Amino acid sequence: MSKQLTATLFALCLFRPAMAEEPLSAIASYGNLKPPVVKPMFDGMDEGWQDRVALEFEIMNDADLKSLRTALRDKNPDARAMAARALGILADRDSADALAELVKSDPSYLVRIRAVESLGFLKMKPDVIQQAITDEQGGVRCSARLAADQLKSKDDFAGQVRRAFSVGIERDDMGQAEVGLPAPDITVQTMAGTPFRLSSVRGKQPIAIYFAAFDG
Amino acid sequence: MHEQAQLRLKKDEVIKLGAAVFVIQAQDLLRTKVFKEENRLLNSFKNPFRYEKQIVFSTALADPAGHASAIYGVSRKCPAWGQWVENKPCWFVIDSKGIITSAAHPSFATPTSYIKEVDDMLAALTEAAK
Repeated sequence: MSKQLTATLFALCLFRPAMAEEPLSAIASYGNLKPPVVKPMFDGMDEGWQDRVALEFEIMNDADLKSLRTALRDKNPDARAMAARALGILADRDSADALAELVKSDPSYLVRIRAVESLGFLKMKPDVIQQAITDEQGGVRCSARLAADQLKSKDDFAGQVRRAFSVGIERDDMGQAEVGLPAPDITVQTMAGTPFRLSSVRGKQPIAIYFAAFDG
Repeated sequence: MHEQAQLRLKKDEVIKLGAAVFVIQAQDLLRTKVFKEENRLLNSFKNPFRYEKQIVFSTALADPAGHASAIYGVSRKCPAWGQWVENKPCWFVIDSKGIITSAAHPSFATPTSYIKEVDDMLAALTEAAK
């Protein structure tokens, strides 16, 4: 099955045109997962978001490691990047060598970003992470610095992310927030790592919530 | 990030309204902490906030799987560095009865569009506080 995944930059707080649009067949190899239909940037960017959310929850909760490891060698950089990220969050320590190789030599900086990010989740290969801090591409350097921060911490960030995915999500629960309706309750994490429920403050005072991109 | 930096300049107005302001990152705790406590992006190029050490006034909250973001319909609409792992930025205002009174996406239309967008959000928050 041939679908498209659009890879883009989000740099200097401005959206940039798509970096790559190539057929993405590797997603179909993730067990019985169905690939989402992803539209190009600026052209129905919102469309299909529920599919992407559902797919990511499926990958994190159900994809088999063997398929993901195989996808690290896929010819499509988007597939390699997606697999690299998932393997880090899934704490697949057996992928560390392959991820390190991607950090050092993958021609796509998108893949290098996700691979070094995952080495941070795994807390492995500090020398490779350190080397990536001098990568020619700014996004890789930024991700490598974050990965280096993860190495210094005792926290299990990958475990935190896995636990967050493990609750799953139903399609009927997506996109409930509408003007004029009660604000849906949500549970997120405070900086102390404790759960915070919106319902603990909702209805008691006016509230503004900004859902942010990392640099938006 | 500009939206948060701009809101910080208006924090007295927020406090006066008795309002709570939250910023939710669809990222792990470390990245959310960096977002809150450091200024790694805006200190990297010329802009009004370049020399600020910390520019986020809102209470930062982590949404590692994007679950809350998906419930609010803003998840996986913003590709970054090759993956749909980011939120599509959006302001929601909730009144004292718990009703959503405003929802607005920043436009990123101009280098200074965040100024009016934060003003618009504050106007909605003021209305919600009545």
